[in-house]
Amino acid sequence: MIPDWINIVLDSLRLRIDNINAMASTSLPLVVDNLSFRYRDRQGAAIHNLSFTVNAGEVLLIAGASGCGKTTLVRCINGLIPRSYKGEMSGKILVFGGEVKDWKLSQISQKIGTVLQDPERQILGTKVVNEVAFGLENLGMPRGEIFSRVDESLNFLKISHLRNRDTFSLSGGEKQKVALAGILAMRPSIILLDEPLASLDPASAQDTLDAVRLLADQGLSILMVEHRVEDVLRIKPERVMFMSEGEIRYLGDVSGLSKVVNYREVKLPAEDIVERAKLDPPPVEIKVLPGVTSSHSSGEALVKFENVAFGYESEVEILHGINLQINRGDVIAVLGPNGAGKTTFVKHAIGLLKPKSGKVFVGGRDTTEASVAEIASMLGYVFQSPSHMLFAPTVREELAFGPTNMKHTKEQIELEVKEALKIVNLSDKEKDPPLALSFGQQKRVSIAAILAMRSRILVMDEPTAGQDYQNYMNFMDSILQMPAFEAIIFITHDVDLAAIYANRVLIIADGRLIADGKPQDVLRDFDRLKANRIIPTSLLALNLKRLSTTGRFMRAEALAHI
Amino acid sequence: MLVAWRYRIRENSFIQSFDPRAWVIFYLCCLVSTLSFWDVRFLLPFFVIAMFVLLTSGVQWHEIRRAFLFIVGFVFFFAILTFLTGRGGTEVYKQEHLIREFRASFSLLGWTPVLKITVERAFFAISQLVRVTSIAVMTILIPYSLNPAYYGITFKGLGLPDKFAYAMDLTMRFIPTFGRDFQLTMDAQRARGYELEKISGGLIAQVRKLGPIFVPVTIHAIIGSEDIIDAMDLRAFGVGPRTWLDVLTYQTRDRILIAVGVAILSASIVVGFMGYGKFWVPEALMGMF
Repeated sequence: MIPDWINIVLDSLRLRIDNINAMASTSLPLVVDNLSFRYRDRQGAAIHNLSFTVNAGEVLLIAGASGCGKTTLVRCINGLIPRSYKGEMSGKILVFGGEVKDWKLSQISQKIGTVLQDPERQILGTKVVNEVAFGLENLGMPRGEIFSRVDESLNFLKISHLRNRDTFSLSGGEKQKVALAGILAMRPSIILLDEPLASLDPASAQDTLDAVRLLADQGLSILMVEHRVEDVLRIKPERVMFMSEGEIRYLGDVSGLSKVVNYREVKLPAEDIVERAKLDPPPVEIKVLPGVTSSHSSGEALVKFENVAFGYESEVEILHGINLQINRGDVIAVLGPNGAGKTTFVKHAIGLLKPKSGKVFVGGRDTTEASVAEIASMLGYVFQSPSHMLFAPTVREELAFGPTNMKHTKEQIELEVKEALKIVNLSDKEKDPPLALSFGQQKRVSIAAILAMRSRILVMDEPTAGQDYQNYMNFMDSILQMPAFEAIIFITHDVDLAAIYANRVLIIADGRLIADGKPQDVLRDFDRLKANRIIPTSLLALNLKRLSTTGRFMRAEALAHI
Repeated sequence: MLVAWRYRIRENSFIQSFDPRAWVIFYLCCLVSTLSFWDVRFLLPFFVIAMFVLLTSGVQWHEIRRAFLFIVGFVFFFAILTFLTGRGGTEVYKQEHLIREFRASFSLLGWTPVLKITVERAFFAISQLVRVTSIAVMTILIPYSLNPAYYGITFKGLGLPDKFAYAMDLTMRFIPTFGRDFQLTMDAQRARGYELEKISGGLIAQVRKLGPIFVPVTIHAIIGSEDIIDAMDLRAFGVGPRTWLDVLTYQTRDRILIAVGVAILSASIVVGFMGYGKFWVPEALMGMF
């Protein structure tokens, strides 16, 4: 077996050879040479001396923690830096031998297409056909040519049936594909995808990845920034780049990645983690909801749904006949496809939505008879998007807002804020303005803001979306060990998160409760999972294989020692 | 993502049977004409047109109930306020004929509140009500009746340059998007124990306490705008003359509608130049007081 350090040296040599080749060749789709950038209003460079090339027909996966410079690199390549984001830039970016800084954005956009993290941020057209045609309209193409290219792109992605649909009525996966079709119609040679899977259910993510692989096989160069490394590995990217603190730490084939990166930083396939973790001491077992004693576990339900139905408009029902109880000690993962009604379901628990028929009780009180603020002292709800709630001049004040509304004492608030900041690893940001933080950090502030309220039940809507692996695993560990909570509910698309942390899994699809049970019971039925757009992961498969020995689901690091 | 108004195709809708450009031209003609009159006799035909358009629009009451009640309530409130204070109308009438006067039985720092009901104030309130209601009804129907996919090409077809036409398209869709974001922020802050209805303190303190709503909504709107600009830049918006995918074609009925609109506007301008249409109070009524 070759020691790791030799591999690192070899990879570094390969990287240099790559660079030399790049300089010599002008036919390569993309050459990045010694690229650095510092944002105008920030100290320190966001990326330093990056050099690499991308070949035709290649998928290059770019991984790394939040704030490592991935998005900055994407912005440099697609021309938004320095045109929209100002700062100091040095180095070169060559596209088929031409330096992009000399090109107009319209020229760049015909060579390089960009799909942003959230398709909602990218879609401009009201109808799918208008959205896909947008770039071609801007280039002033004849109408006939536009229609022909639109149909070609939609056919290629197998979404011709969406052609005349309103864009706002599409599901998350459909929106992502429509955004991709809009880029494809412009016939670029290089496609940049910035965390395209972040908001997608597993099956939609798989569909998007399959489309990406197909594009690369047709000769396009693909650069994909993604936290969900394991998912991307399924489409066999030719190479992987791992970035940290604005620099390339690894650039090479997939097999080398697991040898050089810390398996706690990047989510690798379970088998790889097990192999690596065998060499480390076993992980410390976390004590879930330590505040719930066995004497607590019987008695009245914390939350009770009685035959709940709901619809925003009188004629369309979104939730149908939901019956369930949330009890002390429950850690519930809610899984299901995009647009299945998961958020609508949990919004009933805090009283933001009132059932059209049926009843919801929180702490024995009917939600129709209590204000949201009253319920909030019992049930804390972390919204999906942090930007809808952050307003205060400092992180500290942001966190104190909820407890102050609930009339906690000053001393209590001080303690709650400090503890919440520690859990989300933001103690050093206490005096920073929350709105100036990165998206990942804002998300953690939004979670801390609810943690500080010390409600008895915690509800989180996709807490890990857009977060890097190490950060979300750390804060999930900490949250589950908080003694204040009596039950935790989280909506997620991450099957592993459900398998590792939950002691109860709900599947909601088409507004109905499809399954409710222990993770080992609900997640073993692969046919049901697939029918509900949930794709089994390597960790789930490994856990099921070893279930007779372990008796429960465990994280890969723990399985390594069994 | 920008959301659209709740548009849908409605069977037998009078508005929707026209080209959107023709309808916008007709609407603008009616708007300018209505604004050029204070005489309730001249305003009534516009009120009748507005009611006809409303009743033949195919828009269901439950769809517009909230917006309609809000606007009509707003109009009533201001009409009554003007009636009670007498302010606003003094620009269009000089002399007042008192019907009745109510004097308060108390004084504040030497000032005794007095409510004067005059013929002019009453007629001004009626004219204001008819005038603003006519405009409001015509305006409120636009988002429910014009296809959002045609906003851009409609403004382009009305002669605006590409960039302005698309900017108008985005602006039309920004309003419901802002409404959605406002609601999401309200929900997020209510879930943190914030109760808008329980805000107390002086005016400045109350405004400060609205920060948890207005800061996120504003920031979100700014970030959203930046995203839109990036998305447009990345697809070569504004680099030259653009092709508009949708094509609008005038039919005979559209030309007739435009002709009617222009005729109404021309007649209004001529009538205005002839000195008609100014604030009017029946002579007989003035003679009585």
